[in-house]
Amino acid sequence: MSDISQKVEQIIREHNLHLCLECGKCSASCPRMLSGKQYSPRLLAQKIIASPEDEGYIESAVWECLTCGLCEERCPSGVRFVDFILRLRSLLAAVKGLKGYRAHDGAVHSWMRIMTAPGLKQNRLEWLTPDLRTTQEGPVAFFVGCAPYFDVFFSGIGVQTLAFARDGLRLMNRLGVDPVVLAEERCCGHDLLWTGDSANFAELSRLNYQAFRQAGVKEIVTACPECFQVWERFVPEVVEGFDLKVTLLLDFVERGMKTSGLRFSPLKTRVTYQDPCRLARMADRVEGPRRLMGMIEGLTLKEMDNSGRSALCCGNSSFINCDAYSKRIQLERLDEARRTKAELLLTACPKCHIHLACALRDPHTLGQPGIELRPLPSLLAERLPAGPEGDPGDNAR
Amino acid sequence: MTPVSILGIACNWSPYACYHAAGRAELALPANFRLMRVMCMGRINQALILKAFEHGADGVILLECVDADCRYGPGPEVGHTNVDRVRRLLRFLGIGQERLVERAFAADGRDELVHAVWDFTRAIEDMGPNPAKPGSAREAS
Repeated sequence: MSDISQKVEQIIREHNLHLCLECGKCSASCPRMLSGKQYSPRLLAQKIIASPEDEGYIESAVWECLTCGLCEERCPSGVRFVDFILRLRSLLAAVKGLKGYRAHDGAVHSWMRIMTAPGLKQNRLEWLTPDLRTTQEGPVAFFVGCAPYFDVFFSGIGVQTLAFARDGLRLMNRLGVDPVVLAEERCCGHDLLWTGDSANFAELSRLNYQAFRQAGVKEIVTACPECFQVWERFVPEVVEGFDLKVTLLLDFVERGMKTSGLRFSPLKTRVTYQDPCRLARMADRVEGPRRLMGMIEGLTLKEMDNSGRSALCCGNSSFINCDAYSKRIQLERLDEARRTKAELLLTACPKCHIHLACALRDPHTLGQPGIELRPLPSLLAERLPAGPEGDPGDNAR
Repeated sequence: MTPVSILGIACNWSPYACYHAAGRAELALPANFRLMRVMCMGRINQALILKAFEHGADGVILLECVDADCRYGPGPEVGHTNVDRVRRLLRFLGIGQERLVERAFAADGRDELVHAVWDFTRAIEDMGPNPAKPGSAREAS
């Protein structure tokens, strides 16, 4: 690693790795390590500082991290481990062509890179149902993300990531906004960025920014926590003069419910909630989703053993290194959910939805009590029915 | 006419026997046609086909055995399911599902295979290049 050692040293310094006390709290909380995988964030930090010649270990371990951020949450020294992983992956991918083992043979990353083609003309809006109102130009846009693609690719396990998009739009419509939805929208690039492909990520960011600016958009609302993280934090790093406001759908809905005076219809049910890492730990959105669920009269939220900023990962991120250990994390998470005796397992993230939907079909769970997996926006949209007072948009027609 | 690149993915058994026989008989195939051999269409997953388009293929023709001839049981079923899904993804991407076709051959289908490859190549030449051509060279992956 000698030719890149200066860059590695810079990454070590910028992410406070020298402050590591080797207390081991990171490894003791790492879901991947606890699932039995021979991987330790503490050891990776130690090796890259003290034994950089052990390239074999470092270059393998850097891809094992789920980037879920629980280690960083526990670290008493302020080591920025997740960003450290991100930057080290980008460096090793750029200089050495490393990329980790890609789940699904890299198909997901393939279509994301195909979307960087300048002449791309997608047919990606066929999922829009007639009751959903969208425009081609305007100040507010809804960013859909890869949901149309995921629902086809993962149709074998019956995922419904488009429910996040349809019900997200439904909620916006009912709160009086008909947002721009673009056929030219491309993937936000989250999975390319987090697997080290920063060049194609930057290309997607530029193309998306241009497309939304051309449509007169000033604010982007998205239901997906990963798209939200990318638009809010990483696109401004690669697009000069970035000037769009980025809003999480759940924040938009909470604000809209307060200003419109609308109310969710009651529902007597017992639910539990999977906090997405990109919301709870990385965007401090722990209370927001809970306040929204609390607005539904009759709904009881039973927290899992690990929730909020301590929530357990859904098992995988960015579709790399999915393996038996990922599955073990997911099964553990489903056990936690079942122990709450909830009827519904809600999540705010399409990726958590995909991974938990996969785990729910695992033969190991046969014979265990079922729990229904549902997108949080779907439950909210269902409890906010259209009607004369419930839908200002329809009134206006 | 714009030059296009065509990838054929052939099952090792009947279609490859046809391809081999065509070679021995010195039957001409299009110069822009490349062949990749796999053991069974059941080996073809969504990633392999998407990767061909990601790297700039203009058309992909899957040369398969007749379903009943498959040596591996669920091969055709797995293959058809994957192809169906990728065709829908190609439609979303604006590449177009007509750029991916499946053709099945018996072991003695030498002439049929040669015709199928020529027909597909001409159809893709009429359509022109894949509209989602990469802007720059792709990493080998």
